[in-house]
Amino acid sequence: MNTLRTLIMLLLFPGGLFVLLNGLAYEWVKRKLLARLQNRVGPRWFQPAADMVKLLSKEEIVPAGVDARLFAGLPLVALAGPLAAALYMPLAGVAPASGFPGDLIVAVYLLSLLTLCMGLAGSNTASRFALVGATRTLTQLFSYEAPFLLALLGPALVTGSWQISAITASTSGRWLLLTQPIGFVVALVGLMGKLELPPFDAPEAETEIVAGALTEYSGRGLALFRLARNVALVVGLTLIAALYLGGLAGPLDYLAKTLGLLVCMVGLQALLTRLRIDQMAGLWWRGGALLVLMQWLVLIVWHGGAP
Amino acid sequence: MHTGEQSEIFTIPIGPQHPALKEPGHFEFAVESEVVKAASVRLGYAHRGIEKAVETRSWVQSLYLLERVCGICSHIHATAYCLGVERLAGVTAPARAQAIRELVAELERIHSHFLWLGVAAHEAGFESLFMYSWRDRETVMDLLEGLTGNRVHYSANLLGGVKFDVSATQAADIRRGLDFLEERTRRYLDVVTSDETLLRRTRGIGVMTAEQAERLGVVGPTARASGLTRDIRIEAPYAAYADYPVEIVLHTAGDLAARFAVRVEELFESYRVIRTILDAMPTGELTARMPRKIKSGETLSRVEAPRGELVYFIKSNGSDKPERIHIRTPTICNMASVLTLTIGRQLADVPMILVGIDPCFSCNDRMVVVDSGSDSPQGWTWEQLRQYGIAHYGGVA
Repeated sequence: MNTLRTLIMLLLFPGGLFVLLNGLAYEWVKRKLLARLQNRVGPRWFQPAADMVKLLSKEEIVPAGVDARLFAGLPLVALAGPLAAALYMPLAGVAPASGFPGDLIVAVYLLSLLTLCMGLAGSNTASRFALVGATRTLTQLFSYEAPFLLALLGPALVTGSWQISAITASTSGRWLLLTQPIGFVVALVGLMGKLELPPFDAPEAETEIVAGALTEYSGRGLALFRLARNVALVVGLTLIAALYLGGLAGPLDYLAKTLGLLVCMVGLQALLTRLRIDQMAGLWWRGGALLVLMQWLVLIVWHGGAP
Repeated sequence: MHTGEQSEIFTIPIGPQHPALKEPGHFEFAVESEVVKAASVRLGYAHRGIEKAVETRSWVQSLYLLERVCGICSHIHATAYCLGVERLAGVTAPARAQAIRELVAELERIHSHFLWLGVAAHEAGFESLFMYSWRDRETVMDLLEGLTGNRVHYSANLLGGVKFDVSATQAADIRRGLDFLEERTRRYLDVVTSDETLLRRTRGIGVMTAEQAERLGVVGPTARASGLTRDIRIEAPYAAYADYPVEIVLHTAGDLAARFAVRVEELFESYRVIRTILDAMPTGELTARMPRKIKSGETLSRVEAPRGELVYFIKSNGSDKPERIHIRTPTICNMASVLTLTIGRQLADVPMILVGIDPCFSCNDRMVVVDSGSDSPQGWTWEQLRQYGIAHYGGVA
């Protein structure tokens, strides 16, 4: 019985199928909304799924000069990371499938696996576009990761627990967005950096380096990377909504809050011009990191240093 | 700390197939951790032998071929050719025809600058501006279609005049379209001069001083953004530009932001001059009679294409076919500036600097045969060139 429950948890809900489908649905919302904001028609509702089916059925070309096992394995690890992180998330407003003190840190690092794998995938190929893309991907990772993590630890600091379910339980109904606005903004923008959404899309700036680190990927590998990014989108949105928007009380609450965040992200995406990689690094270290540290200082002083 | 590490320079190829360029050209940029150290260009992928081809065609047939040198500024090529041939024949097109030539040329400039704005925004990664400017470009395309029947190759010119008249309803349509475009252009001017994220990608980037611009021989909006007063419409008015003059749009900063500003501000000047033409259109004939054979002689015809000065050298030997036509397009004048300006810049600035000159690759491609072994000064015949092309691209004759 317990095995069955674990299997359902891993494969159907909240991990596995649910989060994959949710990711495809949110990808559609993102693409459609961006298209409408840019005065385009945008894709039909099943387009992300159709793209996946098509990519998965295509031949995967393994380019010359790569480590074939690494080439095939990296997309799997990239997808496995966010999928594992999903188990610690209150997806659909239901209590997380798993959890332990400190799972917040683990979840954030599982999310980073995706970026790390993309960086490795880029440096694994001989393509010059992919190499530049990989350098940029990793540069970006080192830029946003620290501020992003610090921003997510803000709520943990206030509630005195590093477990996601414990944080949401003790803040339920209290919108930390109001008391830690800087942390919220940095977390949301950090998520955009993690997902390489414009204006943080320098690692895959098509007008310079084609598709960046993933230039050599086609077929199955590309499909898995895209799925991984969709899952990371859902997981990231859930995490920010749970920590900063007063927890997720149920499926409707979940939908409203995560979609609300998604709309904000797409709005920023439509408004801004791509940042150059040096500008991006400067922005995070001079802007993001300092602001978050300032907020930390305020929080620590306010709470008298008690964890 | 130890600094003895070998620096790694590698070459990033851009083109002939690359998402940054929708046209074929091959650039190689040697970069060292994102900073460009050296740049080279290889052109010629879209060489079509047009200059040679016109030598075997009549003066009238050549007009249609030369219009197809460029897909964006087809009208200005035909205008340059017609004005030159008319000068050789000693014929002047009627005033109304000249006014219509200027009218279409300015509509074409609007269409070209809107297209450029979109492409430049796309290179910068500002997709929203790209989508909106191309949507608004449809307005001027519709106006051109309403006027001439075609969106791109308007084919407005004839030797000795123009093919169509502008009716009162068409004039009203144009005015309405321009009102809409002018309001939109004000917004775009606001965006390109005040949007902070876009300015971070354009301000102070690709700076070309007036001296540099002079030395590199740049033309058109690229030169005007560096403070050079270069505009054939003003220096040597052709068609009806003496009667309906335009004001020069000058910026002195010489960076990408200035190139954005010059092109967007030129749109207002085009709107103004089109309205002036429509207000006071001369009456009379649309065409003058042209002889079939053109008196022998040679001439240089200079016009201001949307991208800069366009020069036609036309030589006639008194027959019904041109003896030699040479075309100097603005892109080839501006290309050297790209290679100079990208050195020392970030890789991300490269597509921006390239697109800053508004390159047109199909206009660019020339062929020069250097044959030191032969004494004959004679060039190739059209048939020889054709055979060479077939052999070069691996086909069978």
